[in-house]
Amino acid sequence: MKKSNRKVLIAVLVLLTGVGFLIYRGLANTSVYYMTVSELKTSALGMKLGADQAVRVGGLVLDGDIDYNQRDLVLRFSIKDEKNPQQIIAALYNGAKPDSFEPEIEALLEGTYDREKNLFLADTLLVKCPSKYESDPKNKQEVGQ
Amino acid sequence: MIAFGTSSQVAALVFTLLSMGLFLCGLSRNNLRLIQAGKRALISAAIATTLASVALAYLFLTDNFQVEYVASYSDRALPLFYKITAFWAGQKGSLLFWAWVLSLFIALVIFNNRRETNDRNTPYLYLVLAGTLSFFLFLLCAISNPFETLAFMPQDGGGLNPMLQNPGMVFHPPTLFLGYIGFTVPFAYAIAAMITGTTDAGWIRKTRAWNVLSWIFLSIGIILGGQWAYVELGWGGYWAWDPVENASFIPWLVSTAFIHTAILQERRGIMKVWNVVLILLTFVLCIFGTYLVRSGILQSVHDFGSTGLGGYFLFFMVVVLVGGLYLLAESYGEFKTPGSVESYLSRESTFLFNNVILLALAFATLLGTVFPIISEAMTGNKITVGQPFFNQVNTPLFLILILLTGICPLIGWRKASVSNLRRNFLRPALTALLSGIIMAVFGIREFYALLAFTFSAFVGATIVQEYLTAIRSRKKLTGESSPSAAVKLLWRMRRRYGGHIVHFGLAMMVIGITASSAYKLETQGTLRQGESLTIGDFELKYENFRTYKKYNRTIYAAQLGVFKDGSRIDVLEAERRHYVNAKQPTTEVAIRSTLAQDLYVTMPGIGNGNEITLKVAVNPLLIWIWFGSGLMVLGGILAIIPSRRKQS
Repeated sequence: MKKSNRKVLIAVLVLLTGVGFLIYRGLANTSVYYMTVSELKTSALGMKLGADQAVRVGGLVLDGDIDYNQRDLVLRFSIKDEKNPQQIIAALYNGAKPDSFEPEIEALLEGTYDREKNLFLADTLLVKCPSKYESDPKNKQEVGQ
Repeated sequence: MIAFGTSSQVAALVFTLLSMGLFLCGLSRNNLRLIQAGKRALISAAIATTLASVALAYLFLTDNFQVEYVASYSDRALPLFYKITAFWAGQKGSLLFWAWVLSLFIALVIFNNRRETNDRNTPYLYLVLAGTLSFFLFLLCAISNPFETLAFMPQDGGGLNPMLQNPGMVFHPPTLFLGYIGFTVPFAYAIAAMITGTTDAGWIRKTRAWNVLSWIFLSIGIILGGQWAYVELGWGGYWAWDPVENASFIPWLVSTAFIHTAILQERRGIMKVWNVVLILLTFVLCIFGTYLVRSGILQSVHDFGSTGLGGYFLFFMVVVLVGGLYLLAESYGEFKTPGSVESYLSRESTFLFNNVILLALAFATLLGTVFPIISEAMTGNKITVGQPFFNQVNTPLFLILILLTGICPLIGWRKASVSNLRRNFLRPALTALLSGIIMAVFGIREFYALLAFTFSAFVGATIVQEYLTAIRSRKKLTGESSPSAAVKLLWRMRRRYGGHIVHFGLAMMVIGITASSAYKLETQGTLRQGESLTIGDFELKYENFRTYKKYNRTIYAAQLGVFKDGSRIDVLEAERRHYVNAKQPTTEVAIRSTLAQDLYVTMPGIGNGNEITLKVAVNPLLIWIWFGSGLMVLGGILAIIPSRRKQS
């Protein structure tokens, strides 16, 4: 191999090592578990999570107990497991209610879970865009009536 | 009209399959007339998809709600403009749009190559293009037909999602699609070259041109998406590293890498294998992105529903990947080039490093995006990474990329001499250093931010120096005036200066992204009429409230006076809108954009007695992102305007 080629190769290898390190550090520092409501409440892994350990949880917004204080921008609601709707977690989110937030919509929360109070303190709240992105059968029936 | 649309689609599929048969027969019998007939069949397919698209647009315009797709995405009250654009609001219409544009691109490729009747590559090129088109037409005819009808005639449609009733959202999907679809052409060129084993000067020129064109469309699509999120969604940002966003960004990075190494192949005849790999990768990532979006396997804010199309895209991707890799292994020997990078201090090597970084960015973004899937497969638990991962990993990589952008034009081809380097680097490096020191003195202490500003200044200074030197030598040579030399230089050497403009735009974008994320101010508060709220140098006074009806919506608007140093400099209206068909009101952002900063106001709450709750942010230099990205697109366009000399 020519000397210049070797130098280029070494530089590329150094770069790649740096990239590998960045990715490794990034994963180690920022990755969080994703769980469904029932996994968070009942699975062995969910039970092990500390009260200050970040976790992402997904579920459906429960109908009936949405409480939005639009003065202080505090949103209280509950989410239920998609498959086991009797599994419910109360959630508290400090922030504006997203436009598409409504009962039965799929919500993704990231934050910490206080097992004793069964309360999820959400730092971020993502909701899926509403159903009209893709038509759903319920809409169609409404259209038909 | 419904039957007409359906049968046009079927006709297009038949024509495409026919053309594939003709190309295959023509190739095996070495019969040019069969190849010509195949081209005509492909043109007919393009006409048929055009007719199908016209039919769907007509059904939207005439409110034909018997068509399920029209009923799902339109209603009588929808403004005319959005009735046309509802065409691609859902998956079925998007597919038809995709097939239509692909067939038009194919017709354009046929037109471009009309003189090259003896070229060995072109029959294979058309065959691959027709194969891809047939995949989309098959989905349209058999799986996801936009002309499907309901068993009854509804009184009215379900309406278009209010969030999609915005100009940015109207053009965001189709431009993204144009980019995705465009990458089919370089892919087909690459496959054809691997089969025949020839990549000549014309091949790399055409492949690169199609790649740049698709890159431009993809860039516009990504920018419009970000802009739409910023002005419409009201969370104050423009990019969230959401899986669907990443799906468009990853192929963008890889195609950017190709645009750079294609220059090495053109000038030095090296990197042929690498370039083919990048083209394959870009296309596979486009299909993979579509798969991610359509399969619903990842958690994303963009919910397109899992509609059963995912499997088909996965299958298509596997076919492309396996076929591409097989052909690559077969043709590797023919493409392998003896030349190499001669020195680590050469422009070639900066291109190499640029590729390493771009691919590292693509890899990190892809890894972060699919990490839940990988971790679940490996450990049984879903582990996700969010914005912090992408910011932590990608920010340093981007900084290196910006630095390389500045260094690259200062280093000569092949091997740069030390004296040459010293002369070229002196002024840009000093400018960058000086601006870095000035910024540090004025309180920019964030390490990454300081680096980002300094490197961007370096890029800008490099480009300005290069341009001024070139103007001076042109004046000496031709005796023209400065402005005339400046303009003629830009036009005559538009590929080079197109590239420089793209890089200049990139530097502006980096400045805007850094400033608006590192030095953002935010506050919120509840106001009664007459009260005010302070943020940074601004004071916002709640002056008035009104409710009115417009088109298909009711609008609740709060009038806010903007005060600076005690004088009223502007007025903003923050709104909540209630669309006829929507269950609840949506937030309408009020933005006051200046070169220095954006004042960004949303009104998440309206209480008793028209008491309002405001969320306010000041985003410094945010508009630089849009200016910079606009320049990137313009530079790209300038770079691909063909020069007359080459054609004659």
